[in-house]
Amino acid sequence: MGDLLVWLLFFFILIGLIGLVVFQLMCFADLEFDYINPYDSASRINKVVLPEFIIQGIFCFLCLVTGHWIMFLLSAPYLYYNVRLYTNRKHLVDVTEIFNLLSWEKKQRLFKLGYLILLLFISLFLLIWNALEDDDHDF
Amino acid sequence: MESTGAENPNRVNFSQRPVPPGMRPFTPSSPMVGSEPPVSNPLAHTIPQTFMPPLSSGPAASQAAPPGGMYPYTSMPPMSSVPYGNPRPAGTPFQRFPTPQFPPIAQASQASTLPTPTPSSFHPQPQAPFVSMGSPPQNINHAPSFANIPPPSSSPFSGPWTTSQPARPSFSGYPSKEPNMVAPTPPVQTTPFNQGGFIPNRPPVTSAPFPSYQGSHMGPPPIAASSGPYSRDQMHHQSYGPPSGTLQGLLEDFNSLTIGSVPGSLDPGLDTKSLPRPLDGDVEPKAFAEMYPMNCHSRYLRLSTNCLPTSQSLVSRWHLPLGAVVCPLAEAPVGEEVPIQNYVSTGIIRCRKCRTYVNPYVTFTDSGRKWRCNICALLNDVPGEYFAQLDASGRRIDLNERPELTKGSVEFVAPTEYMVRPPMPPVYFFLIDVSISAVQSGMLEVVAETIKSCLDNFPGSSRTQIGFITFDSTIHFYNMKSSLTQPQMLAVSDLDDIFVPLPDDLLVNLSESRAVLDAFLDSLPSMFQNNYNVESAFGPALKSAFMVMSRLGGKLLIFQSTLPSLGVGRLRLRGDDVRVYGTDKEHSLRISEDPFYKQMAADCTKYQIAINVYAMSDKYTDIASLGTLAKYTGGQVYYYPGFQSAIHKEKLKHELARDLTRETAWEAVMRIRCGKGVRFTSYHGNFMLRSTDLLALPAVDCDKAYAVQLSLEEALLTTQTVYFQIALLYTSSSGERRIRVHTAAAPVVSDLGEMYRQADTGAIVSIFCRLAIEKTLSYKLEEARNSVQQRIVKALKEYRSLYSVQHRLGGRMIYPESLRFLLIYGLALCKSIPLRGGYADAQLDERCAAGHTMMTSPVTSLLKILYPDLIRIDEYLVKSSPHEVNFNFSRLPLTADSLDSRGVYIYDDGCRFILWFGRMVSPDIAMNLLGDDFATDLSKVAIHERDNPMSKKLTKILEKLRGSDNSYYQLCHLVRQGEQPRESFLLLSNLVEDQVSGMNSYADWIMQIQRQLQ
Repeated sequence: MGDLLVWLLFFFILIGLIGLVVFQLMCFADLEFDYINPYDSASRINKVVLPEFIIQGIFCFLCLVTGHWIMFLLSAPYLYYNVRLYTNRKHLVDVTEIFNLLSWEKKQRLFKLGYLILLLFISLFLLIWNALEDDDHDF
Repeated sequence: MESTGAENPNRVNFSQRPVPPGMRPFTPSSPMVGSEPPVSNPLAHTIPQTFMPPLSSGPAASQAAPPGGMYPYTSMPPMSSVPYGNPRPAGTPFQRFPTPQFPPIAQASQASTLPTPTPSSFHPQPQAPFVSMGSPPQNINHAPSFANIPPPSSSPFSGPWTTSQPARPSFSGYPSKEPNMVAPTPPVQTTPFNQGGFIPNRPPVTSAPFPSYQGSHMGPPPIAASSGPYSRDQMHHQSYGPPSGTLQGLLEDFNSLTIGSVPGSLDPGLDTKSLPRPLDGDVEPKAFAEMYPMNCHSRYLRLSTNCLPTSQSLVSRWHLPLGAVVCPLAEAPVGEEVPIQNYVSTGIIRCRKCRTYVNPYVTFTDSGRKWRCNICALLNDVPGEYFAQLDASGRRIDLNERPELTKGSVEFVAPTEYMVRPPMPPVYFFLIDVSISAVQSGMLEVVAETIKSCLDNFPGSSRTQIGFITFDSTIHFYNMKSSLTQPQMLAVSDLDDIFVPLPDDLLVNLSESRAVLDAFLDSLPSMFQNNYNVESAFGPALKSAFMVMSRLGGKLLIFQSTLPSLGVGRLRLRGDDVRVYGTDKEHSLRISEDPFYKQMAADCTKYQIAINVYAMSDKYTDIASLGTLAKYTGGQVYYYPGFQSAIHKEKLKHELARDLTRETAWEAVMRIRCGKGVRFTSYHGNFMLRSTDLLALPAVDCDKAYAVQLSLEEALLTTQTVYFQIALLYTSSSGERRIRVHTAAAPVVSDLGEMYRQADTGAIVSIFCRLAIEKTLSYKLEEARNSVQQRIVKALKEYRSLYSVQHRLGGRMIYPESLRFLLIYGLALCKSIPLRGGYADAQLDERCAAGHTMMTSPVTSLLKILYPDLIRIDEYLVKSSPHEVNFNFSRLPLTADSLDSRGVYIYDDGCRFILWFGRMVSPDIAMNLLGDDFATDLSKVAIHERDNPMSKKLTKILEKLRGSDNSYYQLCHLVRQGEQPRESFLLLSNLVEDQVSGMNSYADWIMQIQRQLQ
């Protein structure tokens, strides 16, 4: 039962991460179509960048402590990438160069999104698997 | 340069371009427009006979092409006009409208060069080619393709050939030996490709003879072979008189350089004397302006090539930058000022859909009730107040009173809907360093003196606002309320939590507080003369200036003479570490270290604050970081290394005065619109992008230019002409909101050779330069230089491949006439201060400052920085009479060989003069010019007028040279031959044609490029 709860937690964390990445992508799209100015866009995006990194870190940590090695290994590259961005001080969007970097930033986040969706499906699958297994044990 | 025979086809070429002078293309208002088919049919029938064939070689051809064939490729206009109640059936193409206007011109231009072809069977022919075919130009020239001309396509040509040129051999022979005959042939060569199903192609007029030549003779080696790749002074092969006119016609397309060693000689076989050199400075292509007389002047907009490519594949083969250099406020000579139009009451006429402003290329239809946008082809209503009848030729009867319909550049007074707030007054705010180095170098005194002397000349008369902050380790605010007699100084020493005391009285009206300002500026130098503070709280001071200014915006002038050392934005002495060069971290030296500067710059732009940085320090001041402030706020960097008021006073005075008094456009935004299918993708210069295509420019002036690059959005352009419109919305110093609109048209071609022929070296080099400097911000210098070289090589290789089939090029390097200076400018760019060498070749601050200057310079100034003038003056000083002012500058190649040790030379790069005295210069000249100073150390000697005719003449020369470009003051540095290391530092390292510090000489550079071309 505990395992099921952990999987549910993973599931919601992933949903949250996807939400944050989608939000950033939406800001970029709005910027591209001139619905918001670069200042607002950059500050909105930069507001959620660190939360995204931290949540992802927590996710990895949880995977590790609950002993879900597969999930941890799967999300480790993502964590490594984030850490590298952060240490290079490239994690925040630069408002002065935002238009020149737009395509790169979007691409980067699209990859993140794809990666997260993949993780989501895996965790969903494992969640259901677990739930069914629990059921099997009950009977 | 070229023989007459060679020039002829060129002229033909241009005369056949789409818009003959005075014509309005797409003039649906011509009688044809509203006319019923019965009326237009006879015309359509006769006109093509008279002028179709010649036109078929240029883009105009397709405009004027008969109905059927053109349809798929004309953009919607003809169709969309129908629903608007145009009586004419959809089948009547609108391309034919200009026809009534065409014949006189087209014929006139033809008459001189061409026999009038009367191809009754001709006109159906070109349609097909335009629709379905086309080819890469070299294919056109393939001889074999000619052999395959199917009978149907060749037969129509017998008409024109026989009727117009009875004496000419029959079609099969093709020996069109005269360049004159070029024009009728294009349809001939297009036909073969008709079958090929290529993309649309309008073959180059000039290349027309090639196929015929190849087809008939088996290609005798082109002249080069005969007169030999070894002839050393061969520059343009026209010059050695090819035996027949055919060859001239063939070869006028390009210039060539022969490279290959002379047998038995050691030198590389390149005659350095004959290499092309831009000794006349910036030469703008004239032909284009003549083609489109209604375009804005090239000082406002210069396209890198005046023909746009029709397809993506052509773009990828063009290799040079495809873009433009825009200088929206360029200084116009007296009499050519941009006319100002006031339509506040009626509203400015703009397209409903694409928001294009009304311009000379829009067409009025429906007896003047509608107008068609030239950019998006939408049919707009003409507002009642703007309505005017059309005359018989379809022109508005009030055309002459409407500059916006006749001139490419016009200014509209903007009504209130163009304002987000009331127009701001001109605001000048000064942030002055008063630490010990600023005081001791005399900077403070010069600045105060200059500002005071300019107080009467600030733009904006009674509206101008002005304010001051000085700083060392504390920040000093000055209350200069008009009610005070003496300014009040308020010092704030809390740097962590900045607050602004008396926020309302720090920025005061110039004319109201004039007395206080005078008193302040008089006392400013003495106030700090005993200041021994070495610290600089630059960041906090900048922040407080920002807080004072954020209500209004304006121009912030920063005078900085030390490295910022306190508070936010303090910088380290990261210095110019030799070990960093050549590593991956090299570029980090050239970018801002602290994100504070970028953030400040972004905030300033948001509040319409432009920052000009005046940096003067003998030590490292981190221009890379300070310059960021100017880069993103549309400002400028002035750098005075080792400022000493005794030496640099005049320069600072002049440049600061110009900065303060030149006409400035405030709180501006600029957008460039262009026709469908083309899009501006990147912008380079000092500004900040507010949206993908909107440049925010808190302050603009005539010395700022911006480079843009464009790309094709669609694989294939369907229009024949692409229009560009630059719109700069700004507040003038007088408090009026205005829109300056520049409009230009450029033809679309499918021929790569034509693109190269119409290239504009100045614009290309300018874009290259900006790209390379931007590249140094994220890569090594070496890589930036290589990228320039690689693109030049690729372009020349592509150009070579266009002609290598017909010509045995051998060891020759060929290049189009229009790009003859590309090589030397490319070399000069690689040797320019921002890009040259490595650690030891230029100081980091100098590199960054020069980079900032070059990023903003208009084309002409940039080319002068790259290839400065070298002028010998001793003969003039000695010989001519003192009153003679018409001094002819004959510029010399920039090589040490030009320097004669008996002479005196001026080296002028637009930013400074270097006066070089030869070792054996006559003592007379030296005495007259310098007096007893000549014997002393020239680095401390300033040139000043002495009481003798020779010195007066020199002063006159210097004045005249300075007068040619006011944007910078050229300080005169003196140097004697052999005075090392000053001589090599000042002059010898700047002689771009010489081999300096391990970089190629001009000849070596050409050899190197030639090797890569093979």
